[in-house]
Amino acid sequence: MAELQAFAPGLYPRSEALVQATRDLDRGRTTVEAVDEQVERDLAELVSVQKQAGLDLLSDGMLRWQDHFRPLLEAADGLATGALTRFLDTNTFYRAPKAEGRPRLGEPLGDRYVAPLPGPRLVTFPSPFALSHGTGLTPKEVADSVLRPALEGVEAELVVLAEPFLAREESPDLDTLAEALGGLGDDLALWLEFGDAGPLLGRGLADLPVSAIGIDFYATNLDDVPGSFDKLLLAGVLDARSSLPEQPRELAEFAARLAEKAERVALVPNGDLQYVSEPIAREKLARLGKAKTATTEAAA
Amino acid sequence: MNDNDKFLTHEVGSLAKPVWLVKTAQGRELDASDIEHARSWGEKVGVEGHEELVELLERGSADPDEVARWSSRYCVRLQESAGIDVIWDGEQLRSEMYAWAIAHSNGFEPRGTVRSFDNKYYSKSAAVGPVSVREPYHNEEFSFLQSVAKARLKIPITGAYTLAVWSYDEHHTPKEGRLGAGYGRRREIEARRELTLDIARNLIRPNLEALIELGADWIQIDEPGASTEADELDLFVESFNVSVEGLDCFFSTHLCFSDYDLFFPPIEGMSGCRQYCVGFANYDSRELGTSAADRPGYEVITKFRDLPYEPILGLGVLDIHTDFIEPPELVRDRILYAVEVFGDPGRIHVCPDCGLRTRSWEVAYEKLRSLVEGARLAQEALTGAPV
Repeated sequence: MAELQAFAPGLYPRSEALVQATRDLDRGRTTVEAVDEQVERDLAELVSVQKQAGLDLLSDGMLRWQDHFRPLLEAADGLATGALTRFLDTNTFYRAPKAEGRPRLGEPLGDRYVAPLPGPRLVTFPSPFALSHGTGLTPKEVADSVLRPALEGVEAELVVLAEPFLAREESPDLDTLAEALGGLGDDLALWLEFGDAGPLLGRGLADLPVSAIGIDFYATNLDDVPGSFDKLLLAGVLDARSSLPEQPRELAEFAARLAEKAERVALVPNGDLQYVSEPIAREKLARLGKAKTATTEAAA
Repeated sequence: MNDNDKFLTHEVGSLAKPVWLVKTAQGRELDASDIEHARSWGEKVGVEGHEELVELLERGSADPDEVARWSSRYCVRLQESAGIDVIWDGEQLRSEMYAWAIAHSNGFEPRGTVRSFDNKYYSKSAAVGPVSVREPYHNEEFSFLQSVAKARLKIPITGAYTLAVWSYDEHHTPKEGRLGAGYGRRREIEARRELTLDIARNLIRPNLEALIELGADWIQIDEPGASTEADELDLFVESFNVSVEGLDCFFSTHLCFSDYDLFFPPIEGMSGCRQYCVGFANYDSRELGTSAADRPGYEVITKFRDLPYEPILGLGVLDIHTDFIEPPELVRDRILYAVEVFGDPGRIHVCPDCGLRTRSWEVAYEKLRSLVEGARLAQEALTGAPV
């Protein structure tokens, strides 16, 4: 049996209480301090949910991030927020990164955007390709001048680089991406969100200089994963765009099939869970944990 | 321009709900500034009998439905006072464009709150069974506005594709068997098609028929979700056609915050759409000028011009996501550029990019006034005579 983990990178949905608090903030009906307190309560609840589910690495859910890029765009010189843009095929929008000069991040984002957590953790940032997408900058430029400074001092067992765009590129340039990823350190995962990774796997995705690759198995055929996958496989088995709850039995059976392809597997969502409401995300995490337990017990 | 050589101006959809409506609906106490808001806006835009509302609010026991009707009157007068030619009430009598439709339909269940962007969210439901209309859900609103409005009315209704793509689909999506199976887009699209056409036939069309029966002569089918899936544009077109086919009315559609290039060529098959109301200002420069280089946000309008059935373009000239008040001269230049591209001012209407509900009434009002003045300046520039 392969080594099996489970965890949940990316943007996690806000609770109804935090939704209301942030709405009230925009309308001048509450204070920043009150919203901060609710964020802390949401974070404590998220940690509790992950622990109860038995997840191996904790995530902070990026609860203060307005989208995948915003804190980096606001903190870095030479980058700015651009047009409000639809995120893939969801009804959620983000401010597209825009270059206004040579990008430079002076210091890490700090605790506000990478919240301290009580245990082994992961941290999620945009991949260099995603951050440079549409800006005219190269992935290596943003990797060297923005992501590398952002990662300095971050203590995490795994840095997950979220990549929503690459799988939808007609002619993806993996060599350029490899060059960008090469300088970002160890324990990196490239997490391809919401897309068919099959064509990229055929082009050498698994050879990129990262220790883990994330694949959306609601869009990707398992047959497209090479038989000798020697990295940690982040298997996107929770459908973050569906309100339907996954069946732990089906996840466990699929995990067993994954073990035939990869020595090390982590069960994860196929993208940010923020595309479902918080109660649904919480239920999905619980089922992810049950699936891991069922798989492990079956193997034992 | 219309028959009077004037650019026809119209709103798009929503306006913010005033705090006195929100608080009344939530059972919260109003403070003096809330009541002052009702009084000052009543005076400012000329709401007949607004003193009655002020008294109601001061007594503190107002019926939320009655207050909503007052809010509707205010928004009608706000737009009329700004000089807009074709109006609606900013959806004051609806909860929200998606939630209202779903709440009056069979076959959906709520699934919680999902982020739209930043601190904006929407309630999302799931289709859980066959879809049908419980009752035509815009009739009461339309009849009320017929009794209130002095300007021409254009009623917005959320379209079938947007309702489908903004919902989860637990009815047509297989509950198991998709993992690692290469389930594929073809089968996803088939499932979406079933849901979308179900909605078009059983929700949208009955509403359209009922509104036409009541006298509606311009219905705007809102499809902000139309380009969500680039490979489902044909389905969006099919659902529009199924919704309106054979009905006698001026049908338009509203598109916003999308890669508009995706709509071509699919909407060549949407000849029942007489006007496309589209947001462009969000992508445009704030500098003055009427050349293509000056107007980067409007590059795609040539494709609307070239549609074989020659629809009118509702030209979005106000960015609804900023408090920046577009100077009339900027609105003018955006219009003049569009006229230059189209070669026919009769195919240009003027509107905001989208509903203005994320702006305060103060900002929305100033933006709309600027829009009207910009349209006047454009008319003046084209006719060479003061208007």
